[in-house]
Amino acid sequence: MIPVKEILLPKSVDEICRLLQNNNGTSKIIAGGTDIVPGFHIESPRFTNIERLIDINNIEELKFISINNDVISIGSAVTFSEIISNQILNEKLPLLVKASKTIGSAQIRNRATLGGNFINNAPCADSVAPLLVYDAEIKIKSFTSEKIMKLQDFLVKPYGTRLKHNEIVTQVMIPISSGKLKGDFYKLGRRRAVSISRISLAVLLDLSEGIINELRIASGAVTPIGTRFYDVEQFAKGKVMNDESMKEIAIKLGERILDVSGVRWSSEYKIPVVQQMCYQLLKKVKC
Amino acid sequence: MRTEIENKKFNIVGKPVIRQDAYSKVTGKAKFADDYKFEGQLFGVMVRTKASHAVIKSIDYSQIRNEDGIKAIITSDDIPGNKKVGQIKIDQPVFCSEKIITSGDVVAMLVGEDQTELKKLSHKIKIELEKLPVLEDPQKALEQNAVLIHPESKTNLITHYPLIKGNVTKGFNNSDYLIEQNYTTQFVEHAYIEPECVTALPGEGMIKVKIIGSIQNPFTTRKVVASVLNCSLSEVEIIQAELGGSFGGKDDIMNVLSARAAVAALKLNKPVKIKYEREESILESYKRHPYIMNYKVGFSKAGKLKAMKIDLLADGGAYASMSPFVTWRSVVQATGPYEIENVQTDVKVVYTNNPYTGAMRGFGSPQPIFAIESIMDEIAITVGKTPFEIRKINGYRQNSVTASGQKLAGHEVTLPRVLKKAADVSSFNSKWKSNYASSQKLKQNNFADKSESLILTKNEFINPKNLLRKGIGLATSFRGCSLGAEGIDNTAAYVSIQPDGTVYILSGLAENGQGLRATFSIIAAEIFGIPIEKIIYLEQNTSRIPDSGPTVASRATLMGGGAIKNTCTELRNRLINVLSSYWKVSRKNIYVFKNGLVFPEQKKSRKIKFHDLIKLAFEHKVNLSHVGWYAGPKVHWEEKTGHGSAYFTYVYGCQVAEVTVNVGTGEVFVNNIWAVHDSGKVINILGAVGQVYGGTTQGAGYGLWENISTHKGKIRELNFDQFLIPTSKDIDKIHPYFIEGKESYGPWGAKSLGEPTLELTAAAIANAITNATGQRFFNLPLNIEEVLLRKKLYPESLKRGSAS
Repeated sequence: MIPVKEILLPKSVDEICRLLQNNNGTSKIIAGGTDIVPGFHIESPRFTNIERLIDINNIEELKFISINNDVISIGSAVTFSEIISNQILNEKLPLLVKASKTIGSAQIRNRATLGGNFINNAPCADSVAPLLVYDAEIKIKSFTSEKIMKLQDFLVKPYGTRLKHNEIVTQVMIPISSGKLKGDFYKLGRRRAVSISRISLAVLLDLSEGIINELRIASGAVTPIGTRFYDVEQFAKGKVMNDESMKEIAIKLGERILDVSGVRWSSEYKIPVVQQMCYQLLKKVKC
Repeated sequence: MRTEIENKKFNIVGKPVIRQDAYSKVTGKAKFADDYKFEGQLFGVMVRTKASHAVIKSIDYSQIRNEDGIKAIITSDDIPGNKKVGQIKIDQPVFCSEKIITSGDVVAMLVGEDQTELKKLSHKIKIELEKLPVLEDPQKALEQNAVLIHPESKTNLITHYPLIKGNVTKGFNNSDYLIEQNYTTQFVEHAYIEPECVTALPGEGMIKVKIIGSIQNPFTTRKVVASVLNCSLSEVEIIQAELGGSFGGKDDIMNVLSARAAVAALKLNKPVKIKYEREESILESYKRHPYIMNYKVGFSKAGKLKAMKIDLLADGGAYASMSPFVTWRSVVQATGPYEIENVQTDVKVVYTNNPYTGAMRGFGSPQPIFAIESIMDEIAITVGKTPFEIRKINGYRQNSVTASGQKLAGHEVTLPRVLKKAADVSSFNSKWKSNYASSQKLKQNNFADKSESLILTKNEFINPKNLLRKGIGLATSFRGCSLGAEGIDNTAAYVSIQPDGTVYILSGLAENGQGLRATFSIIAAEIFGIPIEKIIYLEQNTSRIPDSGPTVASRATLMGGGAIKNTCTELRNRLINVLSSYWKVSRKNIYVFKNGLVFPEQKKSRKIKFHDLIKLAFEHKVNLSHVGWYAGPKVHWEEKTGHGSAYFTYVYGCQVAEVTVNVGTGEVFVNNIWAVHDSGKVINILGAVGQVYGGTTQGAGYGLWENISTHKGKIRELNFDQFLIPTSKDIDKIHPYFIEGKESYGPWGAKSLGEPTLELTAAAIANAITNATGQRFFNLPLNIEEVLLRKKLYPESLKRGSAS
């Protein structure tokens, strides 16, 4: 049941900000709609009080991919299909492209947007783990202000972010230096397409002469929200990268995830498997 | 007069023919049930409770009775005829008035113009319930103190089929080895892409009610509606809309929905439509039976089966539905296609408070096939043979005798050919041996028993080069064609040649998306030697064609095709009569109908165009319309002993699956499926390969993903986010092969294919996983948790993701 009474089609970000100015939660921005529309149908309490949808699909300001000096910027309304077919992103941010390819189906990727994925902040949002290891920042605008925030800080809890009712996320910014690290992404779903992640894992690694200079590691679906594991990264730093240390890192990750998530119905499967996946990813990245 | 064309080259039979409905379906022009809209049409919305088993103390409609949006509240009291329905046992209420016995049960239907508003109003009804204990476990259904689901039947046992051949005790004593294993299978939803939809319209003239819907078996629906309305069959007219998938699933549920809509339409004198969304569809519709199976086998050192004792327990859920027929097929086929001297089989099906179970593609065969084909592989390993060899030793051949004492004669028993073909095209034996050797070696090191702790020990990490394991597995089956000894097996066809040489045809069987219209049109085009474009297939309407039984049991091509062929042949003979007297050429000549021409084979210079011949026949006042018939031969069954000629003919199949198993995550990827089937003569090769693609994919879904589970009788997986069917990315290559064994029944010996393609795949995949990992799995589906932990994991709450 769709409770919406009105759908607005603003022409610019400024106009969106104006429309959101006095929003008390009854107005909601919609891009691809791949979370909101099914949410209406299952009568999700997150969406039952929405009276007004602000459609941002036609706003070019939110649909760009650009690279300058040391930052890659991606408009929040860029779809996953656009990410997958973008040459720059394929070159510079392979983990994000790989994760994007695993999202839903071709039809869903044609509509679903990068911004929508982390603003909805489902535990299983597939683009979040790569964005976290890439140290992504986001730009947030309102009628009166503009700010930049780390994605890590923006994500609060399952389906919860720091976004206020009067704000819009306009773009994602990734330091180009992140793209220089070697890495990989693995999504474990129950099937190969139209699949909700059971576990996702993103790893970036900077090795020099066999020593771990820097490791970045983030997970999805196995923690309440996509999570970067700084303490595991710290643990790895300076270690010699060999079979032994890779196992230790994987075990450390398992312990941290267990700390964060506690024992759940799925832990018996997920905790051992995420360690196994982590080890396999590290092995793969190292070669 | 001879009209045999059996030994001639075919004009069109066996060639690839694009079905006539393809273009209208891919362009969106085809009319499905919800595409029919009528003036003044109202909607019916169901009222349910939150219980799975309870006594209804009272229902208070006072909060909504005076709402403008409500035109009527339909309950059991509005039913003029029988308040309960059922195809075998009359045990299913159209509306529950005394008790709720499963979570999908409906107590009333609200009728009004706005479906959304009616749904809201349905939550305002106050229903007072007295909860009863919920019986979820079929193994407890026959215990002395078990709660009775239908107290009037005095037991929860729906049916018990015994079968005894020889003496199993003796057989076990004469065996060198014994193996005993338990296997289980799960509830499965049909997952037809179009949910249930039907409209009932108050009739005109002498027709009392007209029903248009997504209906698998229009004649069954007619019978149920007439019984509920307490009227004659002739007063109910059922028209079949284009069907968006059925797989056996649009039978009982559509009969009940049609009856509800009909009661409301007659009460209000307005068209009433019922249209389900996915959640409601999964909640109320019936499922494939879960089975709990115990197999004990005795065999010699050489691998020859000596005795087999089989106990099957099926969960029938809340209503009997087709359970007695489903489980009867199991008793006939439970041993698999193997000749065994001593067999004892007991098949029981019981009531529980779970969703009810009924017909689904396979119909009592996929479950025992999973068990028997698993244990056959274990036998092979025990005696040091390959799965191929063990099946060759024990498999049926010409004149073998089945467990029910039926001699397999009168048709070609092609199992040895089918088996060999499958092994050859997949290089089965060499692959299996090499995978087996590496899985045995690696089992020692890597697929070790897991520790209790969730945190891995260092030796539990898997060397990346051993992470992905290849496996190949094989499964074979025999399958009785059509209804067998429990059903009345005959079909009708109507064929009418028009003065311009075009031809109307219609069968009493229904198009369920399987492509029956194309198959039947090919048969007619073949017999008249005219292009398929000249054949016009008519709309399915119960008033226009005799009742031909249900479109089930992979019987359409065999039985319906037989009727079409007989009917066309009768008209062709009439045309030959006309021609022979016109040309004064003996009727004993063979007449050829080809490329729109008719000529005597011996005298090709004499030719007449088909449409000129039709003109001639009309001038000679010959009736060029006919309703023909095809009746199956006699079959019989002794229920007490399980003896008899269960089915009049059989088909044979073998599938090989090749998989890659990630032993770190439990993921299984299906790389290849080779499907070799003897379905008799192939009428439309495009339709046949389509059946193989669809059937094996659905079978892989059964083996790896699809699972309906319950929590206190309530279904967890109410939509496709949780009930996972395979996508095109989940199976790589499917390779269909057909062997056309000799057969005297059916059109040119065409038999059955729809269900055989599905029943083998899960078993073949399970055997492939064992070949890859060295571990055997006993409980379908083999999802990631089962492969890694040998168990299923479920969330504690029924709440779904972002809804909470």
